Amino acid sequence: MIEVLGLSKHYGGRKAVDDVTFTARPGRVTGFLGPNGAGKSTTLRVLLGLDAPTSGRALVAGRRYRDLAQPLRTVGALLEGAGPVPERRAADHLMWLARSNRIPRRRVREVLDLTGLAEAARRRVKTYSLGMRQRLGIAAALLGEPDVLILDEPVNGLDPDGIRWVRDLLRDHAASGRTVLLSSHFMAETAGIADDVVIVHRGRVVVRGSLAEVTAGHASLEEAFFARTGDRTGGPR
Amino acid sequence: MSAFRAELTKILTLPGVWIVTGVVLALQAVVMSQSAGLFAGAVAAITPDGVIEVFAGLPQPADEAILGLLAGASLQMGPFLPVLAAVIAGQEFRSGQLGVTVLAVPRRVRLLVAKLLATGAYVLVVALLVAGTSTAFLYAAVRDWNPGLLLTGEAVLGHARFVAFAVLFCVTAFAVTLVLRGTLAGVVASLALTAVTMTQVLAAIALELDALLPLGAARNLLLDPGVNDLTASPGHGLAVLAGWAAATALIAGLALGRRDAR
Repeated sequence: MIEVLGLSKHYGGRKAVDDVTFTARPGRVTGFLGPNGAGKSTTLRVLLGLDAPTSGRALVAGRRYRDLAQPLRTVGALLEGAGPVPERRAADHLMWLARSNRIPRRRVREVLDLTGLAEAARRRVKTYSLGMRQRLGIAAALLGEPDVLILDEPVNGLDPDGIRWVRDLLRDHAASGRTVLLSSHFMAETAGIADDVVIVHRGRVVVRGSLAEVTAGHASLEEAFFARTGDRTGGPR
Repeated sequence: MSAFRAELTKILTLPGVWIVTGVVLALQAVVMSQSAGLFAGAVAAITPDGVIEVFAGLPQPADEAILGLLAGASLQMGPFLPVLAAVIAGQEFRSGQLGVTVLAVPRRVRLLVAKLLATGAYVLVVALLVAGTSTAFLYAAVRDWNPGLLLTGEAVLGHARFVAFAVLFCVTAFAVTLVLRGTLAGVVASLALTAVTMTQVLAAIALELDALLPLGAARNLLLDPGVNDLTASPGHGLAVLAGWAAATALIAGLALGRRDAR
């Protein structure tokens, strides 16, 4: 379970996130949607303890992220702008992550196999394509077999096979009773995966509910978004 | 312990760390090989009453002089070791690595302690290798005169002082790099601290100020007061180095705790 309660994050006078409240429940994929600059990544960074909130609270499994003793065993996260040093080998990147949270060494091999990177495990990350880097980020998120997955734009750079693989992975994860929070600006893609939807626009939640509730009376999730925001440009302030 | 092991793994799997370590050790070997002939000649000319003249016109008791050379030989790498610390710390500010690190170890105090211990442990090994290189070259010079000299308690104490300097100075450089958020900035700041000592700018104003700089403190800690103009006692030097390490680590901790992990 993920609970975000009245969360705000201001940079000087700019409100990147403004009083955001939502819940992502176990057994469901929650789509966290909005255009670029809407405040999605900032919300996730605060939720994951990387950035301090200006006000409000964000809890994972009932606790602040930084209060989790071995967080990678509870939460697997992929964040844009948080990646490995390019000169390090992929296997070494996963190995230090595993050691930091007392995750068994065998999990490194397992997630490399799962993400199709086993053959390239000894290559340095700087030689990876964008899609391979994305797979490595997902491998890192899955390393601790977490109950909660928080993924920021996970299909960026993936080919159609990769997109399908991520879609199946997230559905399977939720189907096993675990929590998935999927942040994306691709509304059509997310509509194919999500059970619940939270749409943010200009730092504020404009609508939240089940996919059926949010899209009721609209041809698509995208149309529902434009109807709620009255904004066809969708850009940041 | 798990965070410490993770940080050590990060250090050992970063090519830049191996490159800088290799350069430091190679540089030490080159510098020592350049001086090897001078040492051998001076040792061969030791008088029957045990006096050596390493520097022309400056006769000294041979055993004191050799031990002084041993400490001074390792200290030559002093200005280069902080580059190693800056490379280790600076990796966090490349490609968003700090974000991944904080995801894995979100408690900032625990993270900082693990980082400092891992960096200190790695630098300790490198410092021992530097000291070993110094010993090997000096052994070649003294083996026909008094090879046991390099294994005496005084020699070991000299190495211990160098290792203490190396670890404390590198912890300082590491913490400064964390505060400045970049390898280059950390290297520049560390070299600036070194340059202020080597150019004797502060020493010309007040010797007490020079004694408060890391490399000035290192000279006081390591070198022989008989042949060097020192500005304070070895104990003062050690306290200054420890003070720099503690103060900069505290500031780095505050910065890490208050700033967003970007």
